[in-house]
Amino acid sequence: MIAAENPFARVWGAYLRLIARFPSVGQIVPFLPLIALWALVVELGVFPRAFFPGPVDVVQSFITLTWKGILPAYLEDSVVRLLVGAAVGIAVGIPLGLLVGLSSKAHKALWPILLFFQAIGDIAWLPLLIIWFGFGLQTMTFVIVYTVLFPVVLNTVLGVRSIPLELHRAGRSLGAPPWRIVTEIVVPGALPNIITGLRNGLGYGWRALIAAEMIVGTSGIGFLMFDSRRAGSVVEILLGMIVLGLLWYAVDALILAPLERATGQRWGLVAR
Amino acid sequence: MKSLSIRNLSKTYFDPYAGKHVTAVQAVSLDVPEGEFVCVVGPSGCGKTTILNMIAGFIPLSGGEIVVDGRSVSGPGPDRGVVFQSHALFPWKTVLENVAFGPKMRGVPLADREAIAREYLALAGLAHAADRYPNELSGGMQQRVGVARALANQPAVLLMDEPFASVDAQTRMTLQEELTRIWQERRPTIIFITHDVPEAVFLANRVVVLSKGRVLKEIDIDLPRPRVWDALIEDERFKTLSAQVLQLVRSA
Repeated sequence: MIAAENPFARVWGAYLRLIARFPSVGQIVPFLPLIALWALVVELGVFPRAFFPGPVDVVQSFITLTWKGILPAYLEDSVVRLLVGAAVGIAVGIPLGLLVGLSSKAHKALWPILLFFQAIGDIAWLPLLIIWFGFGLQTMTFVIVYTVLFPVVLNTVLGVRSIPLELHRAGRSLGAPPWRIVTEIVVPGALPNIITGLRNGLGYGWRALIAAEMIVGTSGIGFLMFDSRRAGSVVEILLGMIVLGLLWYAVDALILAPLERATGQRWGLVAR
Repeated sequence: MKSLSIRNLSKTYFDPYAGKHVTAVQAVSLDVPEGEFVCVVGPSGCGKTTILNMIAGFIPLSGGEIVVDGRSVSGPGPDRGVVFQSHALFPWKTVLENVAFGPKMRGVPLADREAIAREYLALAGLAHAADRYPNELSGGMQQRVGVARALANQPAVLLMDEPFASVDAQTRMTLQEELTRIWQERRPTIIFITHDVPEAVFLANRVVVLSKGRVLKEIDIDLPRPRVWDALIEDERFKTLSAQVLQLVRSA
């Protein structure tokens, strides 16, 4: 028990026991040194305060903007756009992925096209979209749907094609008609990959949305940050960045991670 | 009436690497009466798995005919249950849901098909594992579920493709004894593919030795049942039959 005599090891052991008991503590504690360092640099006055505000300033700005209702309204706009994009991307992407994954004809016809348009990144469409749709919601919706769609489609195809031939054969020799093979075997078998596609798609989509809001938006977190730049308010830009990180953290912890635990990990299809 | 009848079966396919047509199975004829337990043995590449895949309807025939229960085979169907070497259980379904899958596809209501599944799980000695997922089971248990799943559909023929090849030796002997017990209780018609000669002799009423895509010889196994390894391992008749089959397989 050499480790137990080392004070750091004892503190570390106590910390591990604490986060085993209260997992949420383990989500917060890693940020504390970072915030402390930030506060220290600000207090030392290395940079002018207007260019480099501290944690307390950001919290004050958070309270002010929430009180005025600006932050909740912009946050809602961004989240709703993400949800709409995700819903359309899923509604189109999963069926399209199943089709391309199951039908070799569809695969031959569509796969090169999918790869080509996947490479033309979301933001690369903006100049064209601004000419077509102008500065507004249609342009942003297009960007987010486009960004969510491809990871979902490509991962669904991958998932469908990775299902062992034996599972199809087992299903058919147990009397399953083709459409039941799809619902009972193909969809659940591809689900872990579909969730990976969603994770990637939503992640890319979130970033693309913020970029689009900066350029063409009139509301949303991206607009808030870009508008703050015009006003020279660094504190609000920092607030926007922190909100982006926190929001993704919440999406991951509340939606994606539980989905993964309930599917692929439970079934032993992916390593824990 | 015969449960399974194979007439003049052949399979040729184009080998793109060799650049020519290869004959995997030629002029194989075989009759398996209802309730018989037939083992097909032969060295790798003798065409035994190809024959099983054709009976199951997984691959098309090049020539000949396969008749199961009076109907000519064209494609997979629930009249031919398959137990795979790689167990092929559905990972996202519990053991119970896996076994109930065949009845579910036949439209059997939930309560009834669960009762059927529990009956066959009990037959396979797995009543306690009903609510577990396949990845939580040992290899031997997975294969037992595979057998229960195929039998729960009450197929005319049970096709088994080297189902015990990837479990350890002790578990394999237990599984073999259990399979003979289940066969004696339910009398399903079984075609069992293996390259393991003692396994074939232990299980079968009749052993079919295959060589280069043809039937080399059929040998009746008149050993008494129930068969258990403790008794058979020293049995003179078992030794003689095993030696005879082994010699045929090695000459093949």
